[in-house]
Amino acid sequence: MGHRHSPAGRWVLRGIDLALPARALVRVEGGNGTGKSTLLRLLAGIEAPAEGRITGRPARTAYVPERFPAALPLTATGYLVHLGRIHGLRTAEAKRRAGEWLTRFGAAEHARTPLAELSKGTSQKVAVAQALLAAPDLLVLDEAWTGLDTAARTELDRAVAERVAAGATVVFVDHDPRRLAGAADLTLRTGDGGVHRATATPDTAPLPGPRTLIEAEGPPGAPLPQDLPGDPLRERGTGTAPDLVGFTVPTPYSDALLTALLTARPPWHIRRVAPVDTPERPGPPEPIRPSEQPEVSETS
Amino acid sequence: MTALLRYQAALLARSQRWLAPLLLYVAVLAVGVQSGQPVLGSLGFAAAALLPVTAWAVHLCVGQDPPAARAVASAAAGPRRVHLAALLTATGCAAVLAGVTTAVVLLVSSPATDNGTQAVPRPAAALAGVLAALCCVLLGAAVGALSTRPVLRRRGWSVAAAVLGSLLALVTTGSPARYAVTALVTGSRTGTFDPPVLASLGAVTLAGAAGFVVCRLAARRG
Repeated sequence: MGHRHSPAGRWVLRGIDLALPARALVRVEGGNGTGKSTLLRLLAGIEAPAEGRITGRPARTAYVPERFPAALPLTATGYLVHLGRIHGLRTAEAKRRAGEWLTRFGAAEHARTPLAELSKGTSQKVAVAQALLAAPDLLVLDEAWTGLDTAARTELDRAVAERVAAGATVVFVDHDPRRLAGAADLTLRTGDGGVHRATATPDTAPLPGPRTLIEAEGPPGAPLPQDLPGDPLRERGTGTAPDLVGFTVPTPYSDALLTALLTARPPWHIRRVAPVDTPERPGPPEPIRPSEQPEVSETS
Repeated sequence: MTALLRYQAALLARSQRWLAPLLLYVAVLAVGVQSGQPVLGSLGFAAAALLPVTAWAVHLCVGQDPPAARAVASAAAGPRRVHLAALLTATGCAAVLAGVTTAVVLLVSSPATDNGTQAVPRPAAALAGVLAALCCVLLGAAVGALSTRPVLRRRGWSVAAAVLGSLLALVTTGSPARYAVTALVTGSRTGTFDPPVLASLGAVTLAGAAGFVVCRLAARRG
């Protein structure tokens, strides 16, 4: 697959052969002008590639642009209901979910405000809400965190983890290397007109990011549930508490993991939830510079 | 598709940008159509004036959402369908306008030829008038679609192309719009006229082809 913006233009991306897994968080990195945004637009189906094809895109696909200065003559809720219907929801359902997501992002009081009167950050919350209310199977975030306040950023981290836990593929670009650090299943790097899979080794792995320990107790002799959100590190207790298991996950996944444990059949009992102190790594702190990371070329 | 049409229609209705082409059309009709004039000539005039108005409406609908909002809708529904919805919304609004004006012209005009010697049956005039209006709306939609994003992006070129295209669509021999309007005007002189069925089919084909091409291009150029 390759793309250029006009028939005589420069190839922005070329010779890309890539398969994105389901139920995965995919990070895209790369310098300015290396085609990150173009790759995301192609993945989201906003543009068709100039050569080659993209197949198997889920029916529910949502995209959040970096800036959403939507000077549209609609209120926040009105816009979200329209978008919900375009995503295939019924009007009542779209209205319910619009209210729910605006509340989650702390923008409930702006539900009836015209989009043109919203602040930059609140507009961005509307853009994020339109993507999440569809519960998409492919969610593409092009620096969607830009402009959001801290609480909303954390909420978006959690919402992303929820989508991945529900089986969706989430592809994101963010200039902050600590964004969802340690949670990405796959890191892609754009550059030289191609896309490479960045492999992590213990020395060069991206930031581990904040982690949360969840201690849970299963029914006696119960096996560990499979496919837990966030692929937690499991440590089974010994001695007096053989059924006590410690799960360590990237913090954005903690709510999704708790939900999975509490709704497992039979359900698990939660004993303790605590943040894990991130161990200091030797040497200068991140971000990792691109040259430090070995790359496996996936391009032809 | 219904959701996209509702979205585009809501944007158009609330933006109030439709007011300018509507007022222009009403003003042109007020000058060109007066009560008691021969019905066929008035119908022809009303139909011809619809062509540039439809092209303008298409420009409004295609350009009314900012790129970020368009990208969001395109990810949800596909860029082709988003573009098609904009074209259909504009064409639909123009078609409603065409229906209303045809009905008004039929009511206020005199059912006779130019020299007043021959009677013109109203039902036959209505059919011919509706088909001629349809031809002009479809041709206007094709001109509008081909003279704006994604074919022409610069505003100046876009407007110039729409004006020139509308003019050419009305005067070029072989254009369904010219054929349909001429049929009405000549009918008004001679008293013999047929509904422009072939021209309507031609207009449907042209508009469909133009829509197909620009929707494909909309996906390619984002």
